[in-house]
Amino acid sequence: MKMKRLLILAFVSFLIPSLLIAAGTKESAADGVIELSVYHYLDQTDKTTAPNFQHLVDVFEAANPDIKLSFEYGYGESFHDKLQTMAMSGQLPDIVLLYPGERTSQVTSAGLVKDLRPYLSGHEDEFADMAMQAQGENGEIWELPEDISITSIMYTNNRLLAELGLEYPKSYEELLTQGPVIRKAGLIPISIANKDAWPMQSCVAGMLVERACGMEWWDKALSGEASYDDPEFVYAMEIIKELNDKQMFSPGTNQLAYGQGLDDFVNERAVYLLDGGWTVNSMVGELTDEQKTYMSLESFPDIPNQKGQSLSVSATAGQGFGMNAKLNEKEAEAAWKWIWFYSGPEGSAIRQQYGRLPAYNLDEPEDADPMIKKLIAFAGKVPMGYVMDSVIAAEPIGTFNINLQNMMFDTMSPMEVAQDLERMVSSVGR
Amino acid sequence: MTYAQQKHMSYWILVLPGILVFASIIIFPVLFSFSLSFTTWNGYGMPTFAGLENYRTIISDPVFLHSLRNNLLIVVISVFGQIPLGFLLAYLLHRSMVRHGNFFQTMIFLPITISPVVVALLWNQIFSSSGMVVALVRSFTDNPQYVIRIFEDQQLAIVPILFVLLWMHTGTYMIIYYANLQKMTPSVLEAAQIDGASENQMLMRIILPSMIGTIATTAIFAISGSLKAFDLIYAMTGGGPAHFTEVIAIYMYVNTFKYYKYGFGSAASIIIVLLAVGLIMLLQYFSRRLERRFE
Repeated sequence: MKMKRLLILAFVSFLIPSLLIAAGTKESAADGVIELSVYHYLDQTDKTTAPNFQHLVDVFEAANPDIKLSFEYGYGESFHDKLQTMAMSGQLPDIVLLYPGERTSQVTSAGLVKDLRPYLSGHEDEFADMAMQAQGENGEIWELPEDISITSIMYTNNRLLAELGLEYPKSYEELLTQGPVIRKAGLIPISIANKDAWPMQSCVAGMLVERACGMEWWDKALSGEASYDDPEFVYAMEIIKELNDKQMFSPGTNQLAYGQGLDDFVNERAVYLLDGGWTVNSMVGELTDEQKTYMSLESFPDIPNQKGQSLSVSATAGQGFGMNAKLNEKEAEAAWKWIWFYSGPEGSAIRQQYGRLPAYNLDEPEDADPMIKKLIAFAGKVPMGYVMDSVIAAEPIGTFNINLQNMMFDTMSPMEVAQDLERMVSSVGR
Repeated sequence: MTYAQQKHMSYWILVLPGILVFASIIIFPVLFSFSLSFTTWNGYGMPTFAGLENYRTIISDPVFLHSLRNNLLIVVISVFGQIPLGFLLAYLLHRSMVRHGNFFQTMIFLPITISPVVVALLWNQIFSSSGMVVALVRSFTDNPQYVIRIFEDQQLAIVPILFVLLWMHTGTYMIIYYANLQKMTPSVLEAAQIDGASENQMLMRIILPSMIGTIATTAIFAISGSLKAFDLIYAMTGGGPAHFTEVIAIYMYVNTFKYYKYGFGSAASIIIVLLAVGLIMLLQYFSRRLERRFE
């Protein structure tokens, strides 16, 4: 009798944890509705992007009542931490937001997501060329890019320029001569907030590297035929140093949290803002109708001895959704419906209205916000180079970002920054 | 099965779930982290044995050495700042040397009840380049380029964080000391007073000696807490700019979760543990000597 009790006790001891674990597993609903888990990068407190995204979800779910999406969100570094944990523990969600470059390569290169080419077949021409570039070693497309991200736009306040008796500079030297005039008026020449260290790399360095070195050099550097401590690359670093030393950037730029740069520009405390195209999304709501008439999107002026393309910008195909490699055929079809909706014609049209620059080719909308129209027009006319963090691995680029700050504090020279990047890239692998 | 055997077995069955939970969430991660520290592993596939390479790389890394220096400064401000100040405040309140003691007690303890992230945002709002102080100085001096340069100084950037840590944690020690002071028998102090002991004599001969054990315990808290300091600093500066305010826990976090170097990060965490154990053993050695002296 006692033995029986003990056995029951032992059974219950193991049953409770087992039930708790089983409660967390996903099962498709019996009524034919397919449930899919989605992990997305979103700041749920953002008053612009969060409701915009929810609108897309609502439109999709209304059109697809047989698919139920359960969202989980991450933002900033915590998004990537959680993604890594989910991937390592074999609990990758059914649909997950991925990046085309190195940022989520730990997931894509481990074979955890499906190649989307079979699903995409026949639609390739409907996207911008940049978005259809191979993401895997064998040409795989792991995620369907939602946007083209131009990361180095010189947003310009033409009203302030006119008040100061200035015009948009035709050359780098002219830009430098504007600095004292702008500062004398109590304004910031170029607003940029670099506390997080990535903006100087993403919004400035990549663009200047293309200008100083050219695309041919860039491709050689990526394949190992050219070195990051070549004089051209060092020259690009020297330009950043000079801009900093001549107080062209926001005062205390390395103490300013990202967002402050936009804030200074929108409140007309800065003449220029160096930021990405995604900022237009916020500008649509932040700028008044009157402000939108005199704000323009420009390219950083050409630099002396430029080897790269005139007025080029750094750009990359943006992130997009991919799907778990473990999905069965039915689940994969449902997952593709969402992915295609989001990055295809329907979702892209909605996102374009919100100020994004979709990777899917769309006609310019007549009723769009003026800033969106300006972004579309700008994207259509500028040559594009690489964004550094989309082509260089996480650790070298993370160190490079910090080294740019060091260079601005005079604790490293431009040459040392370049040499350190070459050393890191060589040790980690190109 | 005999009754004794059944009883023995029942103990095991009742204890086993607890042991399994303890082993899986405490013992296994520690051992796993220790063994991982001798490997290179990015989270996928099999770890590759690397011997002491991770430890060698860490010890020769200037970023780690600067982080270690920052951690040691936090230990110093905790042990020689928060603890004496906490004791002094508790003593002043206990001996009723200030009026409105309850008000001050609440005010001093208040910072510890606020989330470190909120504290970080609050101080950033005040002192950052877009903060209140900078805005005021800019308007008074008519210098729109003004920024507080201490945040951009490699050696001094940690100082404002030390100040915030002092402000934030002193209240905890004050409460601990205050509670222990209240446990002292009032008649001992009264007898000393009748015998003509001065305030200073009572403090040095009666109160402090009886508090040695408590002081040693709080110092252990301070050291272990200082070496794993993360949340407030990460929220305030993220270790930046340019690693100037980085501490070992942030160094470990960045390498582990941003660069996916799990072996390297494990080695850094083992170094934190070794440092904490070493410093605590040193502290216990000195506290035992002090106790013997007062005995």
